[in-house]
Amino acid sequence: MTASAIHADRITKRFAGHTAVNALSLDVPTGGVFGLLGPNGAGKSTTIRMIMHMIEPDEGQVTLFGGPLSGRELSARIGFLPEERGLYPRMEVLEHLIFLGEAKGLRRQDARVRALRWLDRLGLSDWSRRKVQELSKGMQQKVQFIGTLQHDPELVLLDEPFSGLDPVNLQVMKDVVVEIARSGRTVLFSTHIMEQAERMCDRIAIIARGEKVVDGKLSDVKREAGNRHVYLDFSRDVERARSVLADRSLVASADDSGASAEVELAPGADADRLLRALVDCGVGLARFEVAEPSLQSIFIAKVGQQAAVAPAQEAARA
Amino acid sequence: MHKLFAVIRREFMVRVHTRAFVIGTILGPLLMGFMFVFPMLLDSRSKGPKAVVVLDAGSGDFGVRVERALAGAQRGDGPDATRRYQVTRLGAGVDDLAPLDSLIRLTGRRAETPGALVGVVLVTDSVLATGRMHYFGSDVGSLSDMGELQRTLRQAIIGERLGRAGVDPAVLMQATAPIDLQTSRVSNGEVTGQSGESSFMLAYVMSFLLYIALILYGNQVMSSILEEKSNRIMEVLVSSLSPFQLMLGKVLGVSAVALLQLGIWSGTAKLLTSQRAAIAGLLGVPATQAMAMPIPAISGDLLAVYLTFFVLGFFLYAAAYAAVAATCNTQQEAQQAAIPVTMCIAVGLILLFGLLDEPNGSLARTLSLIPMFAPFVTPVRYSLSPLPLGELALSGGLTALGVLGVSWVASRIYRVGILMYGKRASVGEVLRWIRTG
Repeated sequence: MTASAIHADRITKRFAGHTAVNALSLDVPTGGVFGLLGPNGAGKSTTIRMIMHMIEPDEGQVTLFGGPLSGRELSARIGFLPEERGLYPRMEVLEHLIFLGEAKGLRRQDARVRALRWLDRLGLSDWSRRKVQELSKGMQQKVQFIGTLQHDPELVLLDEPFSGLDPVNLQVMKDVVVEIARSGRTVLFSTHIMEQAERMCDRIAIIARGEKVVDGKLSDVKREAGNRHVYLDFSRDVERARSVLADRSLVASADDSGASAEVELAPGADADRLLRALVDCGVGLARFEVAEPSLQSIFIAKVGQQAAVAPAQEAARA
Repeated sequence: MHKLFAVIRREFMVRVHTRAFVIGTILGPLLMGFMFVFPMLLDSRSKGPKAVVVLDAGSGDFGVRVERALAGAQRGDGPDATRRYQVTRLGAGVDDLAPLDSLIRLTGRRAETPGALVGVVLVTDSVLATGRMHYFGSDVGSLSDMGELQRTLRQAIIGERLGRAGVDPAVLMQATAPIDLQTSRVSNGEVTGQSGESSFMLAYVMSFLLYIALILYGNQVMSSILEEKSNRIMEVLVSSLSPFQLMLGKVLGVSAVALLQLGIWSGTAKLLTSQRAAIAGLLGVPATQAMAMPIPAISGDLLAVYLTFFVLGFFLYAAAYAAVAATCNTQQEAQQAAIPVTMCIAVGLILLFGLLDEPNGSLARTLSLIPMFAPFVTPVRYSLSPLPLGELALSGGLTALGVLGVSWVASRIYRVGILMYGKRASVGEVLRWIRTG
């Protein structure tokens, strides 16, 4: 069996007064897309920085590709897109990409060829001689994306890669990420937007308040959460459904979006009873589907729990 | 090594391609040329003989003697010398000052005006007794011209006084012949050949260049680090380059730019001074006058010493500025935090003036051993009087050690500081970064 691309063993990082990451263990196998999920401030960026050895964990350690070398020593095999995007504003786009390529150890000529190919692929060829500051924000983000990927890294770490992108660019970058994973390489990206993760990830880890809440294959995580979710779309008289959704003997929790809702059945209740109750109350139903829970609902269920438990623990410790 | 070179290359290219660099590089020599040519132009503005009238209201040959003295006064010496004055003597009765008013009316007119004068020298017998003589002129604002005029007139007056006292005219000629004071500098019991004026010039110009370069390029190092911090490019860079590579690359890249610019400037200066006779010719100034300017020759060994200490000093202070910038987030913070570094540079420059009298005194020797000041002090001492080789080596060695020490401390600060945002780090925090790294 090949070594994990990333193995983090109980890593902990404390900053003045608070613990950003607490005894977090992660195992990212080679190949595929790994989603590091968590609410804002959960410790995702700190975790990624520790994986890159940009900051040292106070406890625990990170192993990359099964060996002892640090992220910087392995930088030729790793592509890293930090959360805070930055480029030299007054450099020409092509020059900048060549420099980033050289920083990864590419020869100058090689870096130029690769940069040009990528600029062409992402539709930025006409901009290669322009200064970075003349580009729109979305274009700058593409340039940085190229800088992360142009040296064909085996492991790609993307910290919130899709934030601030318009739908067209979002699709372009998703395609790139998926293609990397398909070629047998490893992508780890962090996000707090569950729809993205749900569509792209093979594996996920959800962290909250610096601690891991759940991890594993996305399909396993979903299966564990159980087949007790019902998706509803309403066509008319939505208000009539309110009392049914509020019935705690039927519905454990409901994510009510107005014209649609995702419902988790209460223990002991079954889908038939819910359907009958809804029909009886006279609401117009356009969809009634029993399915796996969405990542969004798993996330809210898990993180909500964690958020509620953690302060109590802290209070107990104090 | 390849990566380091990429950083150096980037730092170098980015700077050389700025408008500021191009303008500065061109403007420097222009300014230099201007400073060089301007005095010559000023001098040559009145290069033709000045039309002067001697209003002779004295008795005997006094007026004639004054006329002759003025007519004999020369600008420059050798074959290129020109006459200073175009003299006309206007004889009037003894103590008859009536023509003065009409002469004054002609004075200070534009040169094209017929009969225009630059000045009127009033000769009366009372001058011999009181020693007080009158000159009405449009050029009295020029100290050097008035000094020259006074010297010339004084000789005529001394001649006239002695003549009236019955001294033999031949003796008189000899006695009043002008003297030319030649100066040679002696240090350590040896004649160094240069005049005192030119070695001071050299010392001053060299250390001032270092001062300018440190302030200018030190600030460039700081602001580029702040820029990298504030636009977060640092995050990308430190994932593939070590902080030490980044800092070293920046310092080396910026110093390459500095050396290029200074190289262009000094090359131009060399060209200008070697061609000064030709330039003077173009401007219609006698070549001797241009050659008379105190421009010191820089010997090869002095240049080597100077360059060595220049580079050492540059690295030392650039690393210090880099460390300061790493602890700050804004330009204002950095300016404030850099005050101790800037003070060191200023003190280094100021201390030089104390050395000029005693380039081998104990103060000078001590300062040569302090890495912060040696880059200023040692080359200047060397230019004033060659140092013993041992002392030179010790000074250079200690400075090199200082560079290593400062770089080490700076890189410890740098690698923590560049990823810290928000508030400026306190001194205590910085000390902790250095200790724990």
